[in-house]
Amino acid sequence: MRLATLDADALALGLTPGMTLADARAREPDLRVFDADPHADQDWLERLCDGSARYTPVAALDSPFGLILDISGCAHLWGGEDALAREAADRLERHGMRVRHALAGTAEGAHALCRFPVGAAADEDAALRRLPAEALQLGEESAVALRRAGLRTVGDLAARPAAVLAARFGEEAVDALHALLGLGRRPLAPRRPRPAIRIERRFAEPMGSTAFALKTLTEMAAEAGERLGERGQGGRRFEVVFFRSDGLAFPLRVETSLPVRDAPAIMRLVQERIDALSDPLDPGFGFDMLRLTVPQAEPMAPTQLALEGGEARREESVAALVDRLSIRAGRARIQRLEPRDSHIPEQAQLALPAVESRPPASWPQRQETGDPPMRPLHLFDPPQPIEVVAQVPDGPPHRFRWRRALHEVTRYEGPERIAPEWWTAKDGRLEGKSVGEGTSAGLTRDYYRVEDARGRRYWIFRHGLYGTEAVHPGWFIHGLFA
Amino acid sequence: MKGRGKGPDPARPKSTDRRELKALEAAREKARRQPPADRPPIAALPFAELVAATNFSFLRGASHASDMVTRAISLGLTGLGIADRNTVAGVVRAHVARKRWPEQMRAALLEARKEAGQPLKLSKEEERACQTDLRLVVGTRLVFADGTPDIVAYPATRRGWGELTKLLTVGNLRSVKGDCILTYEDLTAYLDDLLLIVLPYSTATEQTAHRRPVAYDYDDRPSREAIRQGHLSLVPPPPPADLEALLDRLNRLVPGRLWLGAALRRDGRDARRLARFKGLSASTGVPLLATMDALYATPTQRPLQDVLGCIREGTTIARAGRVLEANAERHIHSAAEMAHLFRACPEAVAESVAFLTHVHFTLDQLAYEYPHEPVPEGWTAQQWLEELTLSAAHARYGPRIPRKVRELLNEEFGLIAKRNYAAYFLTVHDIVAFARMKGILCQGRGSAANSMVCFLLGVTSVDPRKHDLLFSRFVSEERSEPPDIDVDFEHERREEVMQYIYERYGRHRAGIAATVIHYRSRSAVREAAKVLGLSEDVSARLSSTVWGSYSGDMGDARITEAGFDLDNPQIVQLRAILDQLLREPFPRHLSQHVGGFVLTQNRLDETVPLHHAAMEDRSFIEWDKDDIDALGLMKVDVLALGMLSCIRRAFNLMREQGLGDHQLTVDLEAQDGAVYDMLCKGDSIGVFQVESRAQINMLPRLKPRTLYDLTIQVAIVRPGPIEGDMVHPYLRRRCGEEKVTYPSPAPEHGPKDELKAILDKTKGVPLFQEQAMRLAIVAARFSDVEANKLRRAMATFRNVGTIHHFREKMVRGMVARGYEAEFAQRCFKQIEGFGSYGFPESHALSFARLVYVSAWIKCHQPAVFACALLNSQPMGFYAPAQIVRDAREHGVTVHDADVNMSGWDNSLEPLLRSRDGRRGEGVGRALALRLGLRQVDGFREEWAKQLVEARREGLFASIEDVARRAGLPARALRLLADADACRSLGQDRRAALWEARRTPSDELPLFAAAKARELGEEPDAMLPAMALSQQVATDYAVTRLSLKGHPMQFLRPVFAAEGVLSCAETAAAKNGMRVKTAGVVLVRQRPGKGNAIFITIEDETGITNILLWARLFERQRRPVMASRLMLVEGEVQRSKEGVVHLMATQVHDRSAEMSRLAEGLADGTGQIRHPHTARHPRNVRILPQSRDFH
Repeated sequence: MRLATLDADALALGLTPGMTLADARAREPDLRVFDADPHADQDWLERLCDGSARYTPVAALDSPFGLILDISGCAHLWGGEDALAREAADRLERHGMRVRHALAGTAEGAHALCRFPVGAAADEDAALRRLPAEALQLGEESAVALRRAGLRTVGDLAARPAAVLAARFGEEAVDALHALLGLGRRPLAPRRPRPAIRIERRFAEPMGSTAFALKTLTEMAAEAGERLGERGQGGRRFEVVFFRSDGLAFPLRVETSLPVRDAPAIMRLVQERIDALSDPLDPGFGFDMLRLTVPQAEPMAPTQLALEGGEARREESVAALVDRLSIRAGRARIQRLEPRDSHIPEQAQLALPAVESRPPASWPQRQETGDPPMRPLHLFDPPQPIEVVAQVPDGPPHRFRWRRALHEVTRYEGPERIAPEWWTAKDGRLEGKSVGEGTSAGLTRDYYRVEDARGRRYWIFRHGLYGTEAVHPGWFIHGLFA
Repeated sequence: MKGRGKGPDPARPKSTDRRELKALEAAREKARRQPPADRPPIAALPFAELVAATNFSFLRGASHASDMVTRAISLGLTGLGIADRNTVAGVVRAHVARKRWPEQMRAALLEARKEAGQPLKLSKEEERACQTDLRLVVGTRLVFADGTPDIVAYPATRRGWGELTKLLTVGNLRSVKGDCILTYEDLTAYLDDLLLIVLPYSTATEQTAHRRPVAYDYDDRPSREAIRQGHLSLVPPPPPADLEALLDRLNRLVPGRLWLGAALRRDGRDARRLARFKGLSASTGVPLLATMDALYATPTQRPLQDVLGCIREGTTIARAGRVLEANAERHIHSAAEMAHLFRACPEAVAESVAFLTHVHFTLDQLAYEYPHEPVPEGWTAQQWLEELTLSAAHARYGPRIPRKVRELLNEEFGLIAKRNYAAYFLTVHDIVAFARMKGILCQGRGSAANSMVCFLLGVTSVDPRKHDLLFSRFVSEERSEPPDIDVDFEHERREEVMQYIYERYGRHRAGIAATVIHYRSRSAVREAAKVLGLSEDVSARLSSTVWGSYSGDMGDARITEAGFDLDNPQIVQLRAILDQLLREPFPRHLSQHVGGFVLTQNRLDETVPLHHAAMEDRSFIEWDKDDIDALGLMKVDVLALGMLSCIRRAFNLMREQGLGDHQLTVDLEAQDGAVYDMLCKGDSIGVFQVESRAQINMLPRLKPRTLYDLTIQVAIVRPGPIEGDMVHPYLRRRCGEEKVTYPSPAPEHGPKDELKAILDKTKGVPLFQEQAMRLAIVAARFSDVEANKLRRAMATFRNVGTIHHFREKMVRGMVARGYEAEFAQRCFKQIEGFGSYGFPESHALSFARLVYVSAWIKCHQPAVFACALLNSQPMGFYAPAQIVRDAREHGVTVHDADVNMSGWDNSLEPLLRSRDGRRGEGVGRALALRLGLRQVDGFREEWAKQLVEARREGLFASIEDVARRAGLPARALRLLADADACRSLGQDRRAALWEARRTPSDELPLFAAAKARELGEEPDAMLPAMALSQQVATDYAVTRLSLKGHPMQFLRPVFAAEGVLSCAETAAAKNGMRVKTAGVVLVRQRPGKGNAIFITIEDETGITNILLWARLFERQRRPVMASRLMLVEGEVQRSKEGVVHLMATQVHDRSAEMSRLAEGLADGTGQIRHPHTARHPRNVRILPQSRDFH
C-alpha cells in the first residue's frame, strides 16, 4: 500500500506521495491513514467545476486535483483578474480546501505555474521559462533524461532547436513546449452541467378546462420522453406545476420505481395522483401556464417495442402497479421484502419502500421438493410468549397455551437450532457467561413446527439451551403456517 | 408433516388447564431433581465419531488434532476417526497425540498434585483416569470434483493405506498447489481394502487444474479401458446420478465395506432426513452409521470456525449470513447425546462401534524401508559402507590406520549396524559424490555429520579426531530418531542435485518434506480483523504496533497504549480469536521444506500422498519434519548456501587467471597467519558469517588464531550466548582477566569437575547447543528422553511457549545438586536463547571452515574475492559500493563498466598501470577489477550477451555502431549511456545520452545492408558540462556505486563549516569526546531485544558505527528512519581493542543536501533549488536504499 496524497502537516514531516505505507509508519507510527477514494474525489471535483459557473461558463476539469477556468471577458465582473482569483480561492478555502491558483495566458501555462511555483518574475513569459522541465509533463523517463542532459528549465529547452528536441523526446515534447509558451493552442473541453429537462407551456388565454390542460400535459410528457430518449435516460421523478392565472400554483409530484420515458405511463401516474388529491384540481379562472420538470433521471437503455399483441414484460407491469399503488396509498405504504442473508428468521428479510427498491434477484431456495415449508407465512414481531409443557432438557413441546387457549400438540417436527450471532454481542465475548445470565448476543433458539389437534400449525421456539444458557428457558410463538 | 411427530400421550390427562399445567411442571421439576433409579442410563451405548476434521481441513476444521483426540477421550468415546479433506496431513499429529495421551495425562495430574501439595504418587483412580481405550482410526474425507457426495475412506489394512495415498496423489498431481481433483472414477480404481462411509452431500468447491501435471507413472493403475470393460464394466465412468445409485454401485464394488454416514444437523429436518436414510439403507442394504460430521472439538470453537469460514469465502462475519453454520452443533458429541439424537435409529450408533472392528491399520504399521540403491550386487549396505569408508581411510592414512581412527570407526560401524543406518549414509555419500563429479561445491553439517565415517567419505570436512566430537553422543541408541545430516550446496546449482535425486530414485520414491505454514501474528491479525469488519487502517495498526510480535501475553496496557479501547466488542472478539489462532501454531497451508528429501525403497506414494510444489518439476509429500520424525522416516537435507557459489566463482576465476587450481578440500590446513592477522583487525567485509557489524566488532576482541577460534567466533555472536550473558565472561577468560572456573556440584552429588569435561573447550562458558544439552543431562540430571525433548524444543524455530516448561526442572535439578541458583538461571537463559537461533558446535565447525576459506581468498586475492562477491550479489550484508570500496582499500584497481570492455559479469583483467604506481597486492600477476554490466540497474543479461558477441568483430566506434551491430533496443542504449559506459567511444555520460536518445534502435534494412552511417549531423545543442558532483550522483543512481568520488566529498565544505568531523577524524578522536559527524546511511539494524539501534554511516574517508539507545530513538524516530544523509551528534566510545562507536544523542536528517547534489550544486550556477513538488522517491534517488529494519 502506498500513500496517495498527504496533508500539509504530513508533507512537512517529510513524507511523500508514492511512499509505501510501511515506510511511512516506520517513521511516523501515529500517522492517520484513510483509504483513497478516487471516485469520491472525482465526484467532488465535478461538483466544484459545476459550481464554478458563477465565474465563467467555460470551466473544465483538470483531474485529479485541478480546475481550469477560462475567465476571458468575465474578470471585470469581479473587479479584475486578481480579484476574481482571490474571490474563488477564498471561497474554496472557506469550505476547508487548500487552494493554489495561478493565472496565465494559456491553460497549460496556468496549470504549470500553479504546480511549480517559480516566485516573482518580470512577466508571464519569464515565469514560464523559469519553470522546471518537469512542468512539461512528458513522463518520468523523459524528465530524467532532460535532467541528465542538463536541461533543467523550460527556458533551457526553448533555447534549443525544436528539431533536436523532437528527435529525442518526440513531437509531443515540442507540442507541449509550444502549448506552454502560448505558441500553439489546445482547445479546452469545458464541463457544463446538463440541466434538468424542463418543459413549459404558456397559454395566451387562461385555460378553463382541466381536461384540456391534461391533454397539453400529455404532449409535454411526450416531448419530455423524447428528450430523455435522446439522453439515453428515463425519469424517476416528474414534477408538474399548474399555474393559475390568479397566482396560485398546484404542484404535483410522481415517482417511479423504474426509469420511465413513456408518455402514457407518465400520464397514467399523473392521473392517479390527481385522482388521489384530497382537494381536487380547481382551474378557477383558468391555468395560464404548465410546467413539467424531470429532476431525477437515470440511465435507461432503449427498449425493443413489443410487437402488436405482445405482452408487456412482467417486471415492468409489476413496476407500474407498484408505482400506481404507491402514488395512491403513499410511498411508504407499499413495501417490498428484500432477502437478507441471515439465519435469524426475523432478520432474514428487510421491508423497504417498493418504489425505492428493485425486485430482488432471487429468493433463497433451500427446500427439498415435497417437504413442508420451513418458514411460516406470518411472523410475529416480536414473538409472543407462551406457556409450554415440554420434556427437559431439549424435548419437543407437548402442549402450549397461547392467548389463553390451550393447544394440544399432536405432531411436531424439529428442533431447528439457531444459535445467536456471537459477533453482535455488545461486550464482544464469544461465549456465554454462566447459566441464566445469557449473552448480550442472545440465546440459542430451538424451533419446532407443531400442529395442534385442530390441524393448525404453529412455529414456536424454546429460548435458551436448558442448563447451559437458561435455568428455565422461555417459550415463544414466532409464526403461523397456513 | 406426515405423521412424523407422536400422537397424544395416553398417560397424560385429557382435560388441561393452567392448574394442571403447573402441577405437571412441578412434578417434572421434582423428577428432574431426583433422577429415578429405574430410568436406564442412556450412556450405556458406546459410540465412535468417525467423521471428524482437524484444522488440516484448512479453513474448515477449527480444532487441533490433539484437541479432537483429547475431547474424544474425555467424552469416553469408543473410537475417533480423523478424516480431513483430501489430505492425511493431520493424521500423524492425531496419532502422536493419542499415543502420548496417557503420559501427558499423568504429567498433568502430577502437576496438579504438586500444586495442591499432595504426595507425588497417583492414586488408583487417577492411574485409571490415565488409561484410555479410545481407538483412533485415520483416513481421509474424499471430496470429489464431479459432484459425487463426499466419501470418508479408512484403510482397513496397510495395503488399503497405500491405495488411499495413491488415490490422493493422483488427485493432487492433477491440480495446482493445495488442491486435489478427484472424480468418482478415480475412486473405483483404488478401492482395495478401503472402508467407505458415504456422506449424503458434497462439500466440493471449485478447483483449478494444473497446466502441466508432474510426469508420474501410473503403472499399477488399471487403465481406463480396464475400468470400462473389465470387472468394473457395470460401472460406467460418469458419476452416479443420486445417492441411491451411488450406494448401489459402490455396494457391488465393495460389499461389506460400505456405510451410509447419517449426519444430523439440528436444522429442523433431522427426523425426516433420518427416515430417508433408513429407507435408503433398507433398499440398498448399506448400514447406517451415526456421525455429527464434526468440525471442532467443543461448541466453544464455533466463533473460530465461523471466522475461518469467512476467510475461506473472502467475506466478513456480518455479511457471511448462511455461509456459516446456523448453530454450534458440529462438535464431537458424547455417546449419550448421540443416543438421544438417533433414538429413532439406535442401530446407527451401534454401527459406529462395529465399524472399528473392520480397521486393522494403524500408522505404526508404516514400516519404512530406506532405499537399497547405492549398493552393488552381492554386498549388504553395511558391508559396502564399511568397504567404502575403510578404503577412504587407507587412501588417507596409508596402510596403517591410526588407532584412534580405527576405534572411532569400530564404534560408529557398530552403531550404524545396530540402527540400520548404513543405507542412509550411503545415500548421502552418493549425493555428495554426484556433486563432486559435477564440480558442485558442497559441505555437510548436522549431528551425524560429526562422524568419522562422514569425514572419510568426504561428506564433511571437519576431522572429528581433532575436535573431539563424539558421534555416538548424537546418534544415541536411546534417541530412536534418524540421524541428521544436512548438506549445503552452491545455491545456484542445488537444483541440479535435486533433479539428480529425483532421477536416481524416481519421482515415486523421492519427495521433499512439507512445511506446515502456521498463522503468524501478522497474518492472523490482518485476516481476523478483516473478517470482524475492522478497517485496513486499524488492522495495520494492530498488527504493527500491538500484536506484531505476539508473545502469548498481550498486556492490556499495550493495547491501551496503542489507543484501542479494551472494552470495544470487536477488540475483545479479536483478542479471543487471536488467542485461539496463536496459542498453539494453527496451520494455514502446506508448503515445501527448503530441501529435506524423503526417500523410500518402495513407492513413496504408498506411504504418503505427493503434491505439486510451486516450483516446476518438484513434488513434495504431505508430512512435515515432525511427522516424519514421529513415524521414523529418514530425510536428507539438501540445502543451498550462497557463499559456496561465491567460493566456486572465486576458484574458477583463479584457475582462469593462472592462480592455481583450488578445491574445497577436506584436508585444507587452516594455519595461514596472514589470514588471521587480517581477521583480527576486523577487516572482514564480505567474509562468510563474520562480516556483520557485531561480528566485526567482536573480531578484534576475540583475536582468532585457529580454526576453533573461528568456530567460537561464529557461534558467540548469536542471540543465545548474548541473551545468556555468556559473551563477556568468555572474552574476559580468554584474555586472562578472569580465572577459568568450573562450577561444581555439592560433593555428595558427583565428581567436582563434572562440568570441566563439557566446558573445557570454551573456558567454562557454555557456548554451544550441545554443551547446553550435556549440561542439562549431567548437571540437572535430565533423562535422555527429557534431554531429547529439550533439544527438540530448542530446535523448533521460534517455537515460543514450549521451552519454558523446562526452566523449573533444569534450575531445580541443578540447585538440588548443589549448583548456585544464579548459575543455573544463566544456563537456562542461554538455552532459551537457543530456542530462537540454535547453533550447535558441529554446524559452527563447518561454517568456520567456510569463514577461513573466504577469508583466505580475500586476504591473498582481493581482486578475485571482490569480483566473485559482486557476481554473487545479492548476498551478504554489503552493497556493491562497499565491496568495491573495500577492494580499492586493499589495493585493487577498479575500472568502470565500459561498452567495449565489460561483459555481463564483473571480470578481472591484467593490470596495465596501477593507479598509484604500486602493483596490486597478492601473488602472481596484478589484476584489476572490471565492473560488469550487471551492476547497471535494469540492464539485461541477454543484452550483455549480444554486446559481447558483436564485439568479436571488433571494438565499437560509436553509439550508432553499438545499436546496429549488437542490435540493442533503445532502452539498453540509454542505460549504457546513462551508466557512463561509453567513455571508450569518446563520449561522456551527457554526450552519450544525448546521442543515444536519437539513435533508432530497430535496424533499418536499407542502411543495415549499406553499413552506412544513418544519422545525419545536427546542430550542436550546446549542453552544459556535467559537474563531477552530478556525475557521482548519477553513478550512484544508475550503478549504485561510483569510482569517481563519494557524494559526501562535494558536501564537505558545507559540513566543515558547521564543524562536522569526517568519519576518519571521528575514528581517530579521543575516547569520550563529543563530536558531530555526517554521512550516508548504509545500514540501520535493531538486533535482538531491540534495546539499541545500530546505524552505519559512510563518507569519503570511511565509515562510522553509531549506537542509539531505544529510548532516544523513540524521540527521534523520524530523522533516524527517514535520513539518507544523517548528521549525528554524540560521544566517541573507544574500547581497549580500538573499536570505535559513536554513542548518538542527537540525529539530524540532512537528506535535503543530497537533492542539492543531484540538482548540480557545483555546476557553475551556484543556485540552490529546493524541489517544491513531491516527486516519487525513486526518481530522486541518489543513493541505494540502505538495509533497514522496520
